[in-house]
Amino acid sequence: MLTAPALRAVGLLTAWGNGGAALPVDALTAAGDRSVLSLGRPAFDRDRLRRVPRECVLGLAAVEAMLEDARAGREAISGERTGLLYASAGSYGASNRLFIDRGSGGAYFPYTAPAAVPAEVAIEFGITGPYAVFIGGPPATLRAIWYAATLLEAVLCERVLVLAVETFEECADLYIRGRRLTGHPLVEAAGCLWLEPGKGSLALESHHRHGRPNRGGIRQRLGETFACEPVVALDLWRRGQARTPLCLSGAWGGETARLWWTEPLAAANRGQRCDTETRG
Amino acid sequence: MRRPERIAIQAAGLITPIGQDVDAFWSSLLTGASGISPIERFPVADLRVGRGGEIKRLSRVKEWRHVPDCRATRLLISAADELCTQAGLRPLPLGADRVAVVLGTALGGVEEGEKALGGDRRIRRLRGGLYDSPAHNLARWLGARGPVITVSTACASGATAIGVGADLIRHGVADWVVAGGYDILCRFVMRGFDALRSLTREEIRPFDRRRSGLLLGEAAALVLLMREDEGGPQRLGSLLGYGSAADGHHISAPDPEGRGLERAIAAAMREAGIQPSDIDFVSAHGTGTPLNDRIETSVLKRALGAPAYKIPCNSIKAPMGHTMGAAATLEAIMCLLASRHGQIPATLNLEEADPECDLDYMLGGPRAARPGISLSTSLGFGGCNAALILEGGAC
Repeated sequence: MLTAPALRAVGLLTAWGNGGAALPVDALTAAGDRSVLSLGRPAFDRDRLRRVPRECVLGLAAVEAMLEDARAGREAISGERTGLLYASAGSYGASNRLFIDRGSGGAYFPYTAPAAVPAEVAIEFGITGPYAVFIGGPPATLRAIWYAATLLEAVLCERVLVLAVETFEECADLYIRGRRLTGHPLVEAAGCLWLEPGKGSLALESHHRHGRPNRGGIRQRLGETFACEPVVALDLWRRGQARTPLCLSGAWGGETARLWWTEPLAAANRGQRCDTETRG
Repeated sequence: MRRPERIAIQAAGLITPIGQDVDAFWSSLLTGASGISPIERFPVADLRVGRGGEIKRLSRVKEWRHVPDCRATRLLISAADELCTQAGLRPLPLGADRVAVVLGTALGGVEEGEKALGGDRRIRRLRGGLYDSPAHNLARWLGARGPVITVSTACASGATAIGVGADLIRHGVADWVVAGGYDILCRFVMRGFDALRSLTREEIRPFDRRRSGLLLGEAAALVLLMREDEGGPQRLGSLLGYGSAADGHHISAPDPEGRGLERAIAAAMREAGIQPSDIDFVSAHGTGTPLNDRIETSVLKRALGAPAYKIPCNSIKAPMGHTMGAAATLEAIMCLLASRHGQIPATLNLEEADPECDLDYMLGGPRAARPGISLSTSLGFGGCNAALILEGGAC
C-alpha cells in the first residue's frame, strides 16, 4: 500500500465555468442542443504563446488556476523538486488533425502532440522534475495520481502536478462519428492537481468491466470530460458538493481503474464513494 | 529513503528492420547488417528523404484472424508472440487480472487516424487512431486483464513504460508486466520529420564528425517484468533503476546543457544504489544529429565523471533508424544481450570520431566484454529524458 498524497490545490476550468461550483445540475439539460461545449482559447499576453496550440494554453491556464487556488506564485512550483504528470485521452487529436488535413502542424510537428501540453507547462513554469504522460480516459488520470504517490513516497520530488486536458471542438465531427456523444455532451476541460506528501494510504486496482457502465453520478452534472473527470471529482469533494471520494473509479477501453484514497479525507466520510466511471 | 526492489526482466520479444526475433536482432547488431532501405509501404516521392528502417514483411505470425488491421498492433503482436514463446505466456500461467500491459509510443495508432480522416469511415478505424488503442489490442491478444497503460514521452516512451511497469510490480498492482515500446513508419511521421529537415540523405552516423541527421525506423520491443524472486535462472537480467526528468526548455530542441538528461541519469543511479564507477557500459540515445550527440557526450562526462572516458558506449540507431517509442526498449534489451553473450555491438557507421564526442563510442567491430551493469539513456521531443540502469542475468 502506498502512502497517499495530500491534495494541496486544484485548478479547474470546464466549459461550464471555473471550478466545480460552475457545474449545472444536469449537463444534458444545460447543454441544450449542443453536443460539444468548448472552452475557447484562454488569453495569455505572451508573444511566445501566440502560436502554441489551444490544448497547451488550456494546460497553462489550469496550472495558473491551481496556483491561484494555492495562493502561491510560480516560483513555488519551478525547479527539479516538482514532478509533472499529464493525462489525456484525446487532446492530441486537434494538432494531429491539423497536420493531416493541412499538411502543416503550425508551430508544432505533432509527433510531440501528446507530450506537447506538459512540455509547454514545463517550459512556462520552469518545471524540471520527474515527468510522464499517461494516455487514456479517467483511468489514465487515476494512474497518474497513483504514480505521483510513488514519486512522493520515493522522495523523488516534493510535489507533483497532475494535469489533465481534454479538447473536442476541432474533432467534434469525429467524436460524433465515433458515437461518443450518446448520453452526455462532450465538455472541454482542463484541470491540475497539486499533490504533496500525505499521511493516508492509496491503492490502485484495475479490472475489466462487465455489464453497462454507470451513467449517473458526476457525469450527469459534468458531461463527458474523459481524463479530466477525476480532477473534477476531487474538486467537488473538496468543495463539499459531492460525497467523499474514498474510491475514485473510471472506465475506458473496456477496463475500470479504481483508486482507494484514505486521506486527506475526513474520517467521518470514510466508506463512501464517489463514482466517476465514464464510457470508453 | 528505502531503495526500490530490483525487478527481473525475464524474457524479451521484438520485431525490427534487422531481425524479427531476439536472435536475429542480436546477430545483425554484431555483424553490422543494415535495415535501412527505400520505404515501400506508402508514398514518399514528395518527401526529401524516402528511406528508413522499414520492416518489409511480418513473417513471424502467420494467422491474423481476430487481429485488427492495424500495423502498430501487428508489430506488437509479432513481438509478443516471441515473448510468449520465450516465457510461456499463452495461455497465461497466472491470474489474468495480475498481468499488466504498459506500452510506450510516440505515435500510437495515428496511421489509423490518418485512414479515418482519409475517408475510411469504419468506426473501428477511428477508434484505432487513439494512441492507447494498440495497447488494448495487445492486452486482448495476450488475455491480460490487469492494468493496460499507454505512456507517451516521445522517444523516451519505451524507457518510461519499463519504469512505470516496474512500479506496478513493486507496489503490488500487478505480478507480471508486459512492458515495452513500439512505433511504425507512416506518412504522418515521415512528413513531420521531413518538414523539420532532421532526416539525413546519408547514413546515420552517431558520434561521427560527418553525422548529418537521423533516419526513422519502425519496431516493437517487449520485456516481461516480474519480482526478482520470481524470475527464473534464465532471466535476461534485472532493472535496477529508472529516472526521468523534464527539460522545461524547448518544445523540440534539447536543453543545450542536457540538464534534464543529467538529472534523469542521477535519479536512475540513485534508485539503483550505484556509483558511476559501477557502470560497465552505456547505451546512448545517439541519434546521429549534430546537437544530440554533442549534448549527450557532455552529459555523460558530467554525470559519470572521470569513469566516463573508460566506459564503452554505443548507439544502435544506425542499422534500424530511430525507432521512436520502441528505441529505449530495444536498447535495454541490447544491453542485457551484451551481458549474456559477452560482446558489445559497435556503433555502425562511426568512422571518424567527432572531437566533441570523445568518449569510447565503439568504433570498429563488436568488442568482447561482458558488461554487468549498463546505463541506457533516452531523450525525447518536448524535453522528456529518461535513464535505465540494467544488470545482465546469469550467463
